[in-house]
This record gives sequence, C-alpha cells and structure tokens, in this order.
Amino acid sequence: MLKIKNLHASIDGKAILKGLNLEINPGEVHAIMGPNGAGKSTLASVLAGHESYEITEGEILFEGKDLTALPIEDRAREGLFLAFQYPVEIPGVSNVNFLKTALNEIREYAGLKPLSAKDFLQLVKEKSALVELDSSLATRSVNEGFSGGEKKRNEIFQMAMLNPKLAILDETDSGLDIDALRIVASGVNALKTKENATLVITHYQRLLDYIVPDFVHVLFDGRIVKTGGKDLALELEEKGYDWIKAEHA
Amino acid sequence: MKNEGRGSLIEFQQQLVPTNLQLPDSILSKANQDIQRLADFPTTKSEDFRYTRLIRLNKLQLQTEKSFAPPLVNIAPTTEGIQIVFENGQLVSVVGQHEGVTVQSAQDVPQSQWLACEYKGFVQAMNAVNAQGGVSIEISKQVAVPTSITIIQRWSGKSQAVLLHHQIVLHAFASAHIEWIHEGRAEESFQNLLLDCFLAEGSQLKMDKLQTQEGNSFSFCTERIYQKKQSSFAINTLTFNAFFTRNDLEIFGQEEGTESKMYGVFMGEENNHIDNHTTMNHMAPHSTSNELYKGVLKGKASGVFYGKINVFKDAQKTNAFQSNRNLLLSDDASVNAKPALEIYADDVKCSHGSTTGQLDQQALFFLRARGISESKATDMLIKGFMAEIVGAVKSSHIQEALQTLLG
Ligand SMILES: Nc1ncnc2c1ncn2[C@@H]1O[C@H](COP(=O)(O)OP(=O)(O)O)[C@@H](O)[C@H]1O
Ligand SMILES: [Mg+2]
Repeated sequence: MLKIKNLHASIDGKAILKGLNLEINPGEVHAIMGPNGAGKSTLASVLAGHESYEITEGEILFEGKDLTALPIEDRAREGLFLAFQYPVEIPGVSNVNFLKTALNEIREYAGLKPLSAKDFLQLVKEKSALVELDSSLATRSVNEGFSGGEKKRNEIFQMAMLNPKLAILDETDSGLDIDALRIVASGVNALKTKENATLVITHYQRLLDYIVPDFVHVLFDGRIVKTGGKDLALELEEKGYDWIKAEHA
Repeated sequence: MKNEGRGSLIEFQQQLVPTNLQLPDSILSKANQDIQRLADFPTTKSEDFRYTRLIRLNKLQLQTEKSFAPPLVNIAPTTEGIQIVFENGQLVSVVGQHEGVTVQSAQDVPQSQWLACEYKGFVQAMNAVNAQGGVSIEISKQVAVPTSITIIQRWSGKSQAVLLHHQIVLHAFASAHIEWIHEGRAEESFQNLLLDCFLAEGSQLKMDKLQTQEGNSFSFCTERIYQKKQSSFAINTLTFNAFFTRNDLEIFGQEEGTESKMYGVFMGEENNHIDNHTTMNHMAPHSTSNELYKGVLKGKASGVFYGKINVFKDAQKTNAFQSNRNLLLSDDASVNAKPALEIYADDVKCSHGSTTGQLDQQALFFLRARGISESKATDMLIKGFMAEIVGAVKSSHIQEALQTLLG
C-alpha cells in the first residue's frame, strides 16, 4: 500500500529525513517510535503533502502511485489520513460542515454521488458515538474550546467519517488520560479492516497495549534504525532511547 | 494645466441640484458656508481622509436625470413588515404598515422636525445642501415593531447623483429592527446617503446594513445615532466589493446607561477601496459600547478602519471595547487601521486592539489534508473569519443575500 524508498526531506534547507525506508501492506498496523526531534512528525507531514518540506531524494508510492506528484487534497482523496499531533482550531468553521464538504469531495473524486443530508447525519451520529464525542462538539467550530482529549477524539471521529485506506496517527495518545486513551484506541481498532492500514506514531509504549502493532520501527535522526515486533516497544519502554542513540552516534 | 484640486469641492457641488428638504435655515446657511470655506475636497493630509484619496471625484461628470436597471441582489417583496424602495434616489414604493409606525417622504418633514443640529465635514454639509428626498420613520412610544422595516436603495446607470437624507425616530421604549440595503450597479456615479437615528429613553434599535456594489461608483454613507437614557443601539455593517465606499458611523451616547454595538465586516477585491470610520461618543455615565470590525481584502483592494472613542469628562463608569481584525489575501492588498481614544473621565474601562494577518496556513493545510480543495478551503476560512459577525445578522433577507455573495 505504502512504499517509501530512501526518503530524504528537508525544511528551510535543514535535512530532517535522511534515507528513510518503510513498507506498509493492507491489514497491517505499524508503529513508529523515537525520541523527540527524530523526524516522526516530519514524516507524517511529508506524507500528507505539507508544502514547507522539500523532498530532496527518494520516492513515495501509495498504491503504486507517486504520492509526491499529488497535491495535499488529492492524497486525502486517494485515501491517506493524518491525525494531527497538534489539531488546529478553526473559529467559525463548523466541524460537521467542513466534514460534509470533505466527505463529498472525496466521494466525488471516487466517482460517487454526494451523501444525502439524512445519510450524512446518520453517519455523524454513528461515528461520533464510536469515539464518544458529544454530539454538541460535532456541530461546534473545529476544535474551538475543545479540551486536549476532545481534540484527539475529534481527529479519530474525522478518520471514522472519511474512512481512509491508510491512517497516520501522530502522537494521538499524548495528553490523553487512560479512559480517553481506551476510547481512542477502541475507535481505531473498530475501524480496522483487512483492506486498510494504520501507522501509529508514538512516544510511549502505553498506546500499543491498546492498538497492537504488527511492526514496531525506531526512527532516529531521520532514518528507521531498527524494526521489530511489538516486543521492541516494551524494550524501548524499559531501556529508553539512549542505547539506540549510542549505537548510532 | 488646471491648478490641481483648486475649488474642487465647489466645482463638484455645482453639478448638484439644491435640496428639496426643509432643513432649518440656520443649518442650510452654515452648510453652504462650510462648502465655500472648504472650497476643496480634503486631501490625505487631513485626519479624516488620510487613507482615502478624493481627488478622483473631480473626474465625475454627473447628470441629474434618473434612469434605472434591474437589481443586483434580489430581495423578494415583503409580505410582512414594511418595505421602502428607492431607485436612483427616487422613492418608488412603500409597502406594508404597522400601528404606531409613521412613514413619510423626507420632503414632507416640516422644518421643525429635522432633529440633527450639527453637520460636520463636507459629506454632511453637501447632504444638507443637496439631498433629494429620503424617508422619515417615526415609531410611537412603547411600540415594539414585530417585523423588520426594510429600506432598499438601488442605483444603476451612469453618472448618477444620489443624495438622500433619512431620519428615524424612536420614541420612549419603542423598539424596531431596520434593514438598510444598498444595491449599487452604477458607473461613474456618486452617492451621499445620510441616516439619522434618534433613540429616546429606553428605546431599542437594531440595524443590519448591507452594501453591495458593482461598477465604479463613489459612495459616501453617514449614520448619526443619538441615544438618550438607557437606550440601546446595535448595527451590523456589511460591505462587499465596493469600488469606493466611505462609511462614517457616529454615535452620541448623550445620556446615562446607553448601550451601543457596532459590528462590521468589509470585503474588497480588485482595486476596491473601503473606508470605515466610526466615532463613539460616551457623553454620560454608565454606558457601554462594543465594537468589532473585520476586513477581508484580496487583489489590490485597500481598506481603512478608523475607530474613535471619546469619553467625556462626566462619563464615569464607561465601558468601551473596540477590536479590529483584518485578513489580507494577497501581497497587494492593504489595510490601514487606527484606533483613537480620547478619554477625559478617570473611572472607565476601555480596550482596543487591531490585528492584520494572512490566512492561517496551518488551518488551510488541515482542511486540504481532509480532501478539500485549496479554493474551497480558502473560502471556508474566509467565511469562518467573518462568521462571528455575519452569524449575528438576524435578517433573513440579508442572510439570503449573503449566501449568494459568499457562496
Ligand atoms: N520549520 C522548521 N524549521 C527547521 N527545523 C524544523 C522545523 N520544524 C521542525 N524542525 C526540526 O525537525 C526535527 C524533527 O522534528 P519533528 O519531525 O517534529 O520530530 P518528532 O515528531 O519526531 O518529535 C527537529 O529537530 C525540529 O527541530
Ligand atoms: Mg512529533
């Protein structure tokens, strides 16, 4: 589904990703862990198409298509979804209204008719229940006045609404208490199928108790330096990142 | 070569017809004198027109003959409420009535019933000397008008001069909602519209003003609001795509406990110029004013926000809040914002702030990352920016018109 080969990316002339390789197949859950500043969010932004980053080398294929040739919105329409580490607040833009536009643009891209108002509302009801997002939050301005946890749940609500092929969750667990974490994780798990895939970016092993990964990768200094099963996460939790840093210093 | 601007105001004003309104003689003669004394349009050296060049007015060749083309924003004729329609300055219809509401043509208002005493600057002086009609609305004591009173102004054609003077009087404890709708599609024309509102004790007036403009006309629009004890006034001024619009809104909180709300949105494109000047006079204790103006400028459009707050010496316990926020959508768009506070009382709460910025790039990235095209996402963010004010507009007429304007 996703093939990243020797990816180099920089921002403002500063190299952040330095030869990253990653392959994700349908039905898989991958986790990327790594110390602060390793380039995890950079990878997420580059995949989503953030225009501040320059790809200096390498390629990204999404379902065989060159992702880097697509504008941001077409990547989403192709089925890529990014749950942001820091969800943005947008005063005056209603959560459901923007989602309706987003969903219908994605459907149009796929040659589907827009959803009827009734079906859309039914979907909102169903999916907001999935992440226990209060229905009043669904209709408010995007993230405005939401608590940290509500913002993260709102990201997963959007994911549920848009039903992507590949979801990238950037530190979706940060700032969540254990109950919120459980809700978010069960939402993500409920959305899992054989056809889609999930890339979980996290700092802590904790989330991986709930969203169980098939593969764990360690991202350090712009490259994936280690890959293992879910036990690798436990090892990192126990030993920290210093031994990785030492190995790659 | 003609000496630039010399006697330009007098020359311009000579194209206009003497007023057919019966303003008090003292006002007329003073206004005439003011024009003779000023002689020229103010330059950008004057405080009031620092960012608005009037020299372009010299090129206008005005005719007084009226002509008319179909409306720009279609407002369905009302089945409820009162609707007053002007076409190129001519009162063409008054539909609807309500007990306790008197509507008459401004020409029929006797001298003693023109209530404003002071006409400041060339815009108001010219209106005094040259206004051709208008409407007068009077609402009796304790009458709450349940439906809107709509004043529609349309102008079209070429080289049209439209000068009108309206007066709205609310007697004690009366309340009303006014929609003031300007639909301009005239070329090389000139408008000078003056609206005076007198709010007696405990009265309440809400006003929604929508200005839309196509064509290269010069539009001057003045509101003077006089508030007595415990009265409340609220206005939403919505100005869209105006080639040249200058708004002057001045409120006089003359007695204790007045409440005044001034909200505005202005949106310009191409080489539009939109200038909003507001003045809030707190003249008595315990009064409150709230002001919020938001500007959105694209292309080479320029905007001005000038907000003056005067707190008089006796106006203790005044609360006055002013805020201005602008969004510039291109490198060539610009805005000049200036708050001006003059506070002579010591026990007051006053705040003001003005910010000008670009579209939130992070928000734009977010929306696009959800599959929304860049242009739709941009429109969404612009609408979101204006929502605070546009959302506050109760008028369904205007909400419908806004739908058309904003997509
Ligand atoms: N706009 C920027 N300009 C320069 N450096 C940046 C910019 N944004 C992020 N960085 C740097 O890129 C590196 C990777 O950041 P990030 O991808 O956010 O790391 P992570 O998500 O793994 O904590 C950090 O060293 C950070 O300081
Ligand atoms: Mg990060």
